[in-house]
Amino acid sequence: MTRVYVQEDVCQGHTLCFMAAPEVFELREEDGHASVRDIELTDEVVDAARRAALTCPEQAIVVED
Amino acid sequence: MAEKVVVDFDHHSEAYRERGMEIAAEAREKCPVAWTESHGGYWVVTGLEEASAFQKRPDLFSAARELGNPDSIYKGISIPFVDSEYGGGFLEMDPPVQLEYRRILNSFLSPSAVLSWEPMARDLTNACIDDIIELGEGDFVEQIVNVVPAVLTMGLVGLRLSDWAIFNEPAHAGIYTPPDSPDRPRVDELTAQMGATIYQYVLEGKANPEATKGMLRALLDATIDGEPLPEINIMGTVGLVIGGGFDTTTAFTSNVWRYLAEHPEDKARLVKDPELWGTATEEFLRFFSPSQGTARSITQDCEVLGYEFKRGERALVSFSMPNRDPRFFEDPDEIHIDRFPNRHAAFGLGNHRCIGSNLARMEFKTIMQESLNRIPEYTIDYEGVERYEDCGTINGNKNMPMTFPAGTRQGPGLADAIERWQAILDAQSASAS
Repeated sequence: MTRVYVQEDVCQGHTLCFMAAPEVFELREEDGHASVRDIELTDEVVDAARRAALTCPEQAIVVED
Repeated sequence: MAEKVVVDFDHHSEAYRERGMEIAAEAREKCPVAWTESHGGYWVVTGLEEASAFQKRPDLFSAARELGNPDSIYKGISIPFVDSEYGGGFLEMDPPVQLEYRRILNSFLSPSAVLSWEPMARDLTNACIDDIIELGEGDFVEQIVNVVPAVLTMGLVGLRLSDWAIFNEPAHAGIYTPPDSPDRPRVDELTAQMGATIYQYVLEGKANPEATKGMLRALLDATIDGEPLPEINIMGTVGLVIGGGFDTTTAFTSNVWRYLAEHPEDKARLVKDPELWGTATEEFLRFFSPSQGTARSITQDCEVLGYEFKRGERALVSFSMPNRDPRFFEDPDEIHIDRFPNRHAAFGLGNHRCIGSNLARMEFKTIMQESLNRIPEYTIDYEGVERYEDCGTINGNKNMPMTFPAGTRQGPGLADAIERWQAILDAQSASAS
């Protein structure tokens, strides 16, 4: 089963994932750190997450099948 | 085990200013982590993979400065080391205490918080333009991009907006004046005066907390482990926010303003399709990297990625040079305003990721959009453009004179805008207390 998540201890709040895929990621109010929204992981969503993962300067996003 | 490769490199040199990214490519080709004998010797990190790995190890690559002990191995984020009374605030600290300071200030600079400052950024930009629009000429740096980030920073910190002009010259000259310049003593004196002014604010704030606002209020109110913040760290932190707030966005925006004059096709694309500002901003950040990089002190003999380091060595972890790493960016020395992905290091990597990054993006986009709206056609006067003499810390311009078809002012200009916004901020603060 596909898992998509942001490694909390790696994310530093660059917000590039949110810019790339606001429908997949949300930003914490206090510091802009990212997490995956509570949504269904459709193919579209997983594709968007993979694209966003490429653009994370910290490589904090994990998409695993 | 990698052999120590020595390169002839000095980020404060004229050569770096004129052909820094070429020099970076040569160095990276030889070794992405090379050694230079300049400024007492330091590692030069030009590879993105390497920079990223080192910044994930603050235990080995320390940003800390040990105040009051110039013999310490902890020499802060600047090479060469310059002794300083207050230091660089939380930029020159390591976790865990560094993270405590960030927690105190995060809410002022979060993505949603910076949105609330957008109307002021927009209004200030237009006010600055109002002061020059009918003349058909002006200086983009001195009259627009030096001003807007500075006034906003004053507002965020909680200082008098009109005091931006006191900090303006030391904030910029402190950065662009080479360490060995004959002008250095004068600039250091201005910096000392800036410190004295900040100290007055801190004293006023302690005497009258109710009348204090913004980040300064938060720093004065905060405790860590039940203790108020040491005054010296409040001073360092205010100095850090002013330095970060005044010089970086200014430098960045001026470079893009010039770029768009030289690339009308990209200017046209951005005007026609404002959604492009998203990827374009990140690409400009990658290419121009206003903040060139920061130094670290190696805390113990260690090995990372096959490189051997010794306790007490210094390393320049560049942002600008890794941002041209061909292993991660195709056509790295070309600007593609729709580039994606773009995992650039312009705001740093790791726990010291620029806390002002969201503000910087908002200020940049706002200033660019308003300026292009009011001054859609302009010519840069290249005779008068002066890049920073020393681009080792910030890649910026002292001025950027331009001419343009004269337009009509929309309002009374900057002095009036500053008065109005001061009144608004004072009223907000009064109703909040």
